[in-house]
Amino acid sequence: MDGFVLALWVLRLLFLGLIYIFLFAVARVLLRDLRTAARGPAELGRLVVVASPRGEPAPGASYPLDAVTTLGRDLTNTVIVDDPFASTEHAVLTFRGRVWYVEDRGSTNGTYVNGVLVAGPTALGFGDQLQVGEVRFRLDRGHS
Amino acid sequence: MSALAQARPTSRQLPRIRPRPRPVEFGLLAIVAMALLVGGASLGATEHWLKAQAGGEKLGAFGFAPPDPRGLGVYLGALLVVHIVFVLAGRRTDQVLLPAVAMLGGIGLLLMQRLPQDLVTQSLGSFELRLGQLQLLWLLISLAVTATLALLVRSDHWLRAYKYTWAAAGVALLAMTFVFGTDTNGERLTLSIGPISGQPSELLKVILVVFLAAYLSENRSLLAEESTRIGPLRLPPIPYLAPMVAMWAIALGVVVVQGDLGAALLFFAVFLALLFVATGRLSFVIGGMVLFLAGSFVLYQLFGHVQQRVDNWLDPFRDPLGSGFQTVQALYAFARGGLLGVGLGAGLPTIAGHLPVPAVHTDYPLAALGEELGLVGLLAIFGLYLVIVERGLRIAATAHDEFRALLAAGLSLVIGIQAFIIAAGNLKLIPLTGITLPFISYGGSSLLANALAVGLLLALSDRGAVPPPPPRRRRWRGLPGRRRTR
Repeated sequence: MDGFVLALWVLRLLFLGLIYIFLFAVARVLLRDLRTAARGPAELGRLVVVASPRGEPAPGASYPLDAVTTLGRDLTNTVIVDDPFASTEHAVLTFRGRVWYVEDRGSTNGTYVNGVLVAGPTALGFGDQLQVGEVRFRLDRGHS
Repeated sequence: MSALAQARPTSRQLPRIRPRPRPVEFGLLAIVAMALLVGGASLGATEHWLKAQAGGEKLGAFGFAPPDPRGLGVYLGALLVVHIVFVLAGRRTDQVLLPAVAMLGGIGLLLMQRLPQDLVTQSLGSFELRLGQLQLLWLLISLAVTATLALLVRSDHWLRAYKYTWAAAGVALLAMTFVFGTDTNGERLTLSIGPISGQPSELLKVILVVFLAAYLSENRSLLAEESTRIGPLRLPPIPYLAPMVAMWAIALGVVVVQGDLGAALLFFAVFLALLFVATGRLSFVIGGMVLFLAGSFVLYQLFGHVQQRVDNWLDPFRDPLGSGFQTVQALYAFARGGLLGVGLGAGLPTIAGHLPVPAVHTDYPLAALGEELGLVGLLAIFGLYLVIVERGLRIAATAHDEFRALLAAGLSLVIGIQAFIIAAGNLKLIPLTGITLPFISYGGSSLLANALAVGLLLALSDRGAVPPPPPRRRRWRGLPGRRRTR
């Protein structure tokens, strides 16, 4: 009888203990996951070429972004858009706080966000499309 | 050249399927299986012991068999099958969600097997299914739904493109419940179409999250803008506020017409949480809370059932045998549980054939768990919900674009907030509202809706998923406050 009661106590505590062991194991996995996420080279974002009628830059190419990234036909730009409809200094992407902004640098044909002409600094969300000349980019989250 | 082009595979072909081991998930599931087996043994032994004591006889042999070993075995087997299917499919989805949900579901299954089996019965032809078996059946269906969604959903186009269709379906569901629904305890919750009956508000919460995620991700930058000014208030453009106000009206309408306080509170809390996630503006949340409190106060003045709930919350001991009965009995149950609980199966038996807490399998499972597992067990269960929310927010943080981020955050928050509302209601922290405890409560609608949410979360967590479709043009332009400042 007493042995049975003792065994019952052990089982009850073991059940609670196993739930906590589970939580502990999960917490370890989560911590490892968060550490790798924190350690990884923090890319601020990526520009992926969605459409490029003349193949320069090639469709599918992706560019990791600096906090200030310039786009245009000139060789001094961070992302060179070799398109006859792009200006030499066409647009600039800036990362301010936690949000990306795009600004036109007085280009001839203008910069478009999701098909709408940009006037002044405009916030860009991840997944939004940016058009410079005839080249369309998509802003993606940076790889970790 | 043309022959080459023909020979090339089409781009819409399915990617090649290669098995990929999931060691983390396997390890965690092994712990879940061990815990549930030990829990089952503890439950069986307690029942054996109580029966022997009640009979006044001496304990003959040790009995450690769970009350329904086959049911538990089937559940664990189903978990293993789902795991193997995930491994064979080789998608790089989250490995923590399934074990966490499986643990909660298993605890719920043990609880349902321990409660009196004739609480709910349903006959299928010549079979008669009882509480524990019914819960097992729903758990298996839910696991199948989760696995199907996690494996087959590769693109979210069908969710984001038809957001107004989804919203219309949700509103239609709500309207049908208004008109054709049946009342239980003064709340119009259940909708029966032929042999199928369910609680639409559970499905509605998933639809609501999908709609809000799609709407907010498309209009996020406009909502963050302050172009309308009413006195000292700075608001986003008025046309974009209209759906938000409609949302508030729907939440209060649910209270007025359906008497469903829990769903209204859940919808509104999820709405505010997603609004905050999308815009990052605390003023929206504070404004929404003020609106909600004002609305609640008016409803309290106007409606009897709201008054009764609040009065029960403020002082359940005023009428301990009438309206305050459940609340008082639940508080006693928590008190009996203490720190470590009285052990699975050793909770208070029925009083003269009635359960001390009548709705223990739907609204009050936490009271039973608090009595039998104690404070330590309750904290572990809250920890499990926290794990689900954390995973959802991590999936949101690594999502490709705004829609997926908002969807993942919303799906996990809806589970977390629902657990919080019912737990706080059971513990008399807020007025009790009749909603289910996700994954633990008895009920097909609740289990299926939460399985949908978890399946979508798993699909969203895949790192090799199809890239999001291009955003749509914003049709409405030329806002008054958007002129160039230079």
